[in-house]
Amino acid sequence: MSVFRRALAVAAVCAVLLPLSACGSGDDSGGSTDASGKVEGDITFQTWNLRANFKDYFEGVIAEFEKKYPDTHVKWIDQPAEGYADKISADAAGGTLPDVVNVSPDLVAPLAKAGLALDLDKAAAKYKKEYLAGAWASHRIPGMTGTYAFPWYLNTGPLFYNKSLFKEAGLDPDQPPKTYDDLFADALRMAKESDGKVATLANVPTIEDFGRYGVELMNKEGTAFAFNDAKGVKLLTKYKELYDAKALDPQALTATPESSGKKFLTEAVAMNPGSALDLDNFKKQAPNLYKNIGITDQITSTGHVNMYVMGVMVNSKTKHTPASVAFAHFVTDAEHQMSFAKKVAIFPSTAGSLDDPYFTKEDGTDETRVRIAAAKSLKNAVNYTPVLFSEQMKTALRNEVAKALQGKESPKAALDNAVKQCDTLLQQQG
Amino acid sequence: MVSSTVTGVRRAESVGRVRRVRRQLPTSPWLFAAPGLLITGAFILYPFVSTLVNAFTDRRTLIPGEFVGLANFRELLHDDMFWIGLRNSTLYVLGVVPALVILPLLLALLVQKNIPGITFFRSAFYTPVVASIVVVGLIWVWLLDERGLINSLLETVGIGRVGFLSDQWLLLLSAMAVTVWKGLGYYMIIYLAALANVPRELHEAAAVDGAGAVRRFLTVTVPAVRSTMALVGALSSVAAFKVFSEVYLMAGPSGGPAGEDTTLVMLVQRTGTGLTGRVGYASAISVVVFVVTVALMLLVLRTDRRGES
Repeated sequence: MSVFRRALAVAAVCAVLLPLSACGSGDDSGGSTDASGKVEGDITFQTWNLRANFKDYFEGVIAEFEKKYPDTHVKWIDQPAEGYADKISADAAGGTLPDVVNVSPDLVAPLAKAGLALDLDKAAAKYKKEYLAGAWASHRIPGMTGTYAFPWYLNTGPLFYNKSLFKEAGLDPDQPPKTYDDLFADALRMAKESDGKVATLANVPTIEDFGRYGVELMNKEGTAFAFNDAKGVKLLTKYKELYDAKALDPQALTATPESSGKKFLTEAVAMNPGSALDLDNFKKQAPNLYKNIGITDQITSTGHVNMYVMGVMVNSKTKHTPASVAFAHFVTDAEHQMSFAKKVAIFPSTAGSLDDPYFTKEDGTDETRVRIAAAKSLKNAVNYTPVLFSEQMKTALRNEVAKALQGKESPKAALDNAVKQCDTLLQQQG
Repeated sequence: MVSSTVTGVRRAESVGRVRRVRRQLPTSPWLFAAPGLLITGAFILYPFVSTLVNAFTDRRTLIPGEFVGLANFRELLHDDMFWIGLRNSTLYVLGVVPALVILPLLLALLVQKNIPGITFFRSAFYTPVVASIVVVGLIWVWLLDERGLINSLLETVGIGRVGFLSDQWLLLLSAMAVTVWKGLGYYMIIYLAALANVPRELHEAAAVDGAGAVRRFLTVTVPAVRSTMALVGALSSVAAFKVFSEVYLMAGPSGGPAGEDTTLVMLVQRTGTGLTGRVGYASAISVVVFVVTVALMLLVLRTDRRGES
């Protein structure tokens, strides 16, 4: 009995001490940055919600790679879109991060800071010239040297608008707004003419909107946020005016991209950003809207549209660095990016690919028109979202913007508070 | 002589068996309980102790923390979002618990009688309990939308559209309504079991004495199910204080306009998850949630004991 009691006591002490032992320790075992060896071994590749629609494509790419490098075996796993960051963080914390991971720049930043992302400027510098310079740079982290993921596909999109709602408000449906001043004027008129029943916009301004408006988002060193300048305050003041006039949807304060997309589908709002993927959705779900759909360019004050970048990261702890780097490059090389782009409305990040006739030649359809316009704008597009801008920072900005729109704070005070909170979170990231 | 020897041998055998059984006794129950204990240890005790330890560190998702003493708890005191979360979780308890203690009892009284077709109503009232909270949440979001069914009806009768999902207080009330609607059937079943144990003679005696339905309810039914009411109160208050799904689905990930509908558990999720999650700080909030939850349970049970005495 006393032995048993002692065993119980030891177990209890372990239960208390085991978590403590995690403090200050880290698993430093793992791979090398040398990718020059023989391409061999079993590796795992994780994608972000791509199996449902592109199973055959990825199985084909993997089979091709394994044929090229017979000593390799690639295990493909796909994670759902919901909670992807949580899944990666659980894997990273548990030491089970796959060898090759589909990431976005904001996911790479914390992984690189924790030493879990391979520096490709060292391990894969020879491939750098194959990619657009801007796309390669999108996985650099302020305060760190190196590049931490291969650029994969890019996306951007036009601004869709509802021509019939424009007409009903007495606006010219063939003259959509081109500047922010036009946009604000049209939105106020739409709200007035519809007696507040039709809003023009469904979302509060996000960090990308501030970027597109020409606001400096961070200081040059990337050590502090700066979007509370005069331009930022001006943009938020304009949005407050729209919100008061119901030109911004009353539910915008709690909207998500999905909910605002739905508002546009049900013709409750007149404009919504989107991508070529949405056209098919309009055709199927809202044929009436599709008949009246207008397509115009993103509005910017900078001349550079916003783009979203996907990347493929190599786990720095991989036991098969040459195979992992080779596979990450294989998936993102010009040939495979081009074939992927022909299956879905995305754009390759490899140099010269956007000059392919697929992205330059009109065939009279809306889809092609949107694709060509997007490909053209991508050549000088910018990923406005700072890579260090975390989910917590997005929430902080959103909440302060909401306070300004509700009149609980002045736009200046709200942005000052948002910058203060984001700076604190940035410091806490380490 | 022979028989006494046999008896002696039997007695000795029996004593030996008892000794063997006694020797086995201390370990056997533990062996039977081991699977349960292991599961409890791995999935309840270890995470609990881990959370407790993390609450005193500055641990982040990918960066092991260092011991910071009470710093996280001191930070809580100055965190506006924590106070908003505490306010909303408390309001949730105050709004939801009385409704979930009283309404299911009335519902149970309605469906208690064995009349033809009553099974249909019992099943109908219980259906929301088995429905997925995500599905339920989405349905209510569609119903309460600015252009949803309820607002269209309100507009038709001349009241005009109501911002159920855009006003911070209406949003919280709407989420409470969903919690009550979804929980009614569950607690109704608990009350049905309790009501089955109330002696019919008590009702008959009260009726003979001239007590009406309301009087009988207050003087016979309520005292008879007092313990069940305390149980329902304890269960629903713990669940209400830890509310997450309903508010998250209806108010969105940011917790309503300006985060004003954030509850404590939402704050734990928002602060502690993701690649940049502050696990230490989120653990400190979890510890507060745990302490308040235990306090709530003790309060309800103590009130019941005082009522009984």
